[in-house]
Amino acid sequence: MSLSILGGAKTGASVREDGAYDRYFRPGFVHRDLYVSRDIFDQEMRHLFGSTWVYVGHESEIPAPNDFVTRTIGRRPVILARDREGAVQVVINRCTHRGAVVCRQARGNADRFTCGYHAWTFANDGRCVGVPLPHAYGAGFKLADQNLRKAAKVESYRGFVFAAISDHVPPLIEHLAGARAYLDQWLDRGDRLPVVVRNGDMQFKTHANWKTVYDNAGDGYHPPFSHISMLRVFARRYGDVDMQYYSANFDESPLLSADLGNGHTLLDQRPAMHAQSAWERQHVMPGREILWDQLNAAHGPERALDMLDASTGWGLNLNIFPNLLIIGNQIQIVEPLAHDLTVVHWFSTTLEGAPDEVNAIRMRMQEDFPSFGEVDDTAQFEACQAGLDGVPEMEWVDVRRHLESGVGRVGEDGVWQEPISSDQHMRAYYGAWRRIMNASAARAALS
Amino acid sequence: MTEDIAPAAAAGYFDLDYYRRAHAMVRRWRTLTLIPDALTPSPEDRAACERLLNAEARLIDSGQLEQWLALYTHDCAYWLPTDVEGADPAKVVSWEFNDRRRLEERVERLATGKAFSQMPVTRTTHLYTNFEMMSTAPDEMEVLCNFLIQTNLAGRASARAGWNGFLLRRTQAGWRIVLKRVGLFDADLPQDNNSFTL
Repeated sequence: MSLSILGGAKTGASVREDGAYDRYFRPGFVHRDLYVSRDIFDQEMRHLFGSTWVYVGHESEIPAPNDFVTRTIGRRPVILARDREGAVQVVINRCTHRGAVVCRQARGNADRFTCGYHAWTFANDGRCVGVPLPHAYGAGFKLADQNLRKAAKVESYRGFVFAAISDHVPPLIEHLAGARAYLDQWLDRGDRLPVVVRNGDMQFKTHANWKTVYDNAGDGYHPPFSHISMLRVFARRYGDVDMQYYSANFDESPLLSADLGNGHTLLDQRPAMHAQSAWERQHVMPGREILWDQLNAAHGPERALDMLDASTGWGLNLNIFPNLLIIGNQIQIVEPLAHDLTVVHWFSTTLEGAPDEVNAIRMRMQEDFPSFGEVDDTAQFEACQAGLDGVPEMEWVDVRRHLESGVGRVGEDGVWQEPISSDQHMRAYYGAWRRIMNASAARAALS
Repeated sequence: MTEDIAPAAAAGYFDLDYYRRAHAMVRRWRTLTLIPDALTPSPEDRAACERLLNAEARLIDSGQLEQWLALYTHDCAYWLPTDVEGADPAKVVSWEFNDRRRLEERVERLATGKAFSQMPVTRTTHLYTNFEMMSTAPDEMEVLCNFLIQTNLAGRASARAGWNGFLLRRTQAGWRIVLKRVGLFDADLPQDNNSFTL
């Protein structure tokens, strides 16, 4: 076991014991200031999101030359663009003149962006291509010195585009560590048809710290309690369908929590959900019978079931620190806005080349959990924020589950596994959080 | 004469043809200018439909969701898009696109007493204005209206606004709702808790 006062981080580098942020951690507990302090939030946005790979978007969102979407890295506005040559660019969306946000649209197609304030104009690879009345800046003024800042590094893993503000990051593959194999599995589910991320998104606002969302993404303890309203309705109508496997003894089930390294984790419900046909076991979706009949008629029952299974929820929550969550068929970006305000983007996906019937019911499946489950999760995030913020006398948040139960083990794939209700997700990502934040504080102290 | 939006089948009536017709209806609504005289309903039908929709709003605001659901047909839909451009619901995700079954499940979930997103419940006051009605078939009415929903959740007040598109059908029991499409004017932007009934 690696050295950690939080305990339980089974992979990745050991945590320094003398960092500036160590006082926010003790074995099995994290401090409330991590959720309620404006100062820590500001430091996170600068140093955490500024010192590691951050997910900015999927290449399929910008399929054509000059397509772009606007995103954030921490609170930095950025433009994710495909330039005219087809290369993916991540430029900082802040005018080099007075600091105004240059591109103010969520998405579009443009080979250049003109700041609305004084019309400084930039190509979508960041080059400054025009400044009105430049003579006033003197003879030494060069457009090439006014380019938009760019992310220090941009790498794509099978369409997932990550960017880093700092140069001091390992290659993306190395950063993804054990999460890479699960990204591959997610991408290869549907007959290896390309996953397309151009099918709309839901933006859930939550009045809570971004980490309440992140905490929950790897929390396999809450489903039978937080989601009891949904589970009751589906059990009453449909019997032993998906997620009913969160029964009284779910910690002794094959469901598991895994530590993938570098703060990345997963919850695996596949042993229950995909043991047989996930589509057949799933509760009823709008259009289930009529579309299933049509697919059976067109493709035969076996092929139809294969295609439907491949579009039914994945049964895996893959959490890639600090802002990318893959749940079911959706890609989530956790976007922090303030210490107590977060937007969770749920990007819906389709499979390119799958029958329209399959992609249509895939849309309805991607509305199911958000409207029946995420709404209850959001209520818990906001309740946690209110309690943590309101009671300064109670400083610690409990993350002890399975810290000392001794039931963890190395799985067949070499990944450390614990029962699904473990808090190792929080312990693991806070290990990465602490390592990055301590290192940035140490650098600041030296400079 | 417009096509009936859903076939009579009770279970699982959302197929590609359904989506095509729903998409086309929304496109027609979004490009509507003045309603032609030929589509203007009789004063009696207009009054009956307005009574129905005022009752629909009142039953939400008074928390009588089973009675509210009784105003919907067996082949109904409750639809909250995520976009403001009238996208194809077969290709673009909605906040909710509930058929009758999922709508019943929604009402049941809220009635369990364990739906934490609605504990306490969001109080609402629905205002429907700018009614425009089109008698597109003898037993059908398409209704557009603007809505403003003032809400309060545990002391936090906020409003929802936009336009509704309704498809109504004359049944033996009177006018009933076949489709309610809730077009939030900011559906594509971050949304607060919308787990109450809009």
